[in-house]
Amino acid sequence: MGDFQLLARGIALAGCGIGAGCALIAGIGPGIGEGTAVSKALEAIGRQPECKGDVTGTMLLGCAVAETTGIYGFVTGLLLIFVAPGMFMNYLQ
Amino acid sequence: MSNGFEVDYAKVYFTIKTGIPVLGDIKITQTLIVSWIVMIILTGLCIFLTRNLKVENISKRQAFAEMLVETGNNFVRNNTGGNKFDKLIPFVSALFATSVISNLISLIGLRSPTADLSTEAAWAVVVFVMITSTKIKTNGFGGYLKGFTTPIAVMTPFNILSELATPVSMACRHFGNILSGVVIDGLIYWALGLASAALLKLIPGAVGAFLSNIPILGLGIPAVTGVYFDWFSGCMQAFIFCMLTVMYIANAAEEG
Amino acid sequence: MNEKNKAGKSLWLFIALLALFVAVLFYTGYTKSVTEDQDLVTLVPWTFIIQICNLFLQVYLIKKFLFKPINDILQKRQDLADKEIREAREAKTEADSLKEQYESSLTNAHAEAAQIVSDAQREAQNKADTLVRDAQEEVAGIKARAAADIEQEKKKAINEAKDEISSLAMDIAGKVVEKEINEADHKKLIEDFISKVGA
Repeated sequence: MGDFQLLARGIALAGCGIGAGCALIAGIGPGIGEGTAVSKALEAIGRQPECKGDVTGTMLLGCAVAETTGIYGFVTGLLLIFVAPGMFMNYLQ
Repeated sequence: MSNGFEVDYAKVYFTIKTGIPVLGDIKITQTLIVSWIVMIILTGLCIFLTRNLKVENISKRQAFAEMLVETGNNFVRNNTGGNKFDKLIPFVSALFATSVISNLISLIGLRSPTADLSTEAAWAVVVFVMITSTKIKTNGFGGYLKGFTTPIAVMTPFNILSELATPVSMACRHFGNILSGVVIDGLIYWALGLASAALLKLIPGAVGAFLSNIPILGLGIPAVTGVYFDWFSGCMQAFIFCMLTVMYIANAAEEG
Repeated sequence: MNEKNKAGKSLWLFIALLALFVAVLFYTGYTKSVTEDQDLVTLVPWTFIIQICNLFLQVYLIKKFLFKPINDILQKRQDLADKEIREAREAKTEADSLKEQYESSLTNAHAEAAQIVSDAQREAQNKADTLVRDAQEEVAGIKARAAADIEQEKKKAINEAKDEISSLAMDIAGKVVEKEINEADHKKLIEDFISKVGA
């Protein structure tokens, strides 16, 4: 293995790691969104405590849907950590 | 004790050579085996629950079975608003039950079939076909195509994209949640194994060297994180998948 | 009995299948060395297709083994409840009509009794009235007869007195006049006198 190939592999691995880290920034959005959703739900429960069950169910559903973008980021991160390096290593042989 | 962290990959047990160019060889993976086990468990549960059915003086088992069926009926009827989609009830129930059992089967040490994107993609594509066929049935093929140009013709590519994003997002949402559970469980086991090994190496002599191979800390602690990542996430994702299925199909029928 | 046997058979079949699968799993997974791992995030065409088939098979199985029997039972119970309610409603209608009948007959009986009582009262009143009237009439008759008797006696007494007086007067006059007047003339004269006096 020549120095050039080693360098290329190193760059590829570094890129994958940095990319995975960047992908996890996607967790910010759902965090803020779910926080907002929960705060609004709490306000609603405070106003109308008798609707607690309905509000909680709908809130959980909304939270899980809002989490989707975060999950995309997570899947991308996983791909970059576990799948992409192998692919690059094969490619750079 | 391996020091490197490894994710729980799906193992390939058999490979059946087919020679079909695009599809490739049939690989009987852990996903398939476990999903068949899930199917057998579900069917056995159904058979067990519906034994000795009576009209009066019902047993607790029958009451539970009836409660399940009523819950399924009410879930679909409440979310579609009427009896129009009664044919959908077994489908949604099967989807939910399969999903929940698949998500929770990781608790007994098997690998969840839902931690494999192929499973969720299959379900999402089936749901997508159902949504599309409902739309075409409601509006006619011309109406279905015309629906892409609303509100203005320029939006067509975006509409097509958002249409295609439906199955992708459904599949990836479910898959991501379950896989995150798998990865985090793996990380926790790995970390706890390292920790217990480091702890037990403090015992001098051969006893310490032997005990350090056993991850004692991995016995109880993962159950705590499992409450969120397996129980809550598993049930929630199954529920959301079914909820979205019902809602998308109900919306598709309303557009006309 | 037949149903029970069938259900028992399917349960045994299920247990046998489960045992078979567990055996296969252990045989393949834990005694043979596993050749390769699947990628973590990947889409395998055959797995995809088999999972679609699995899903539809599961739908069929769940429909056959859970929804069909339970819905049958629910339907049966619904029918039973409907029947009971219908019967109860019919019984209630019948009871209502019977009650109405009884009530009307009771009302009739009341009216009849009142009628009878009032009839009896009227009859009794009539009888009493008749009795009283008869008694009064009788009394009046007796009184009138008594009065008539008294009158007659009075008249008789007066006539007798008149006769007495006329004969007395004739005797006196004859004695006074001493003259024998024609008996007839005499008598006439006296009667004239008396009638003049009596008038």
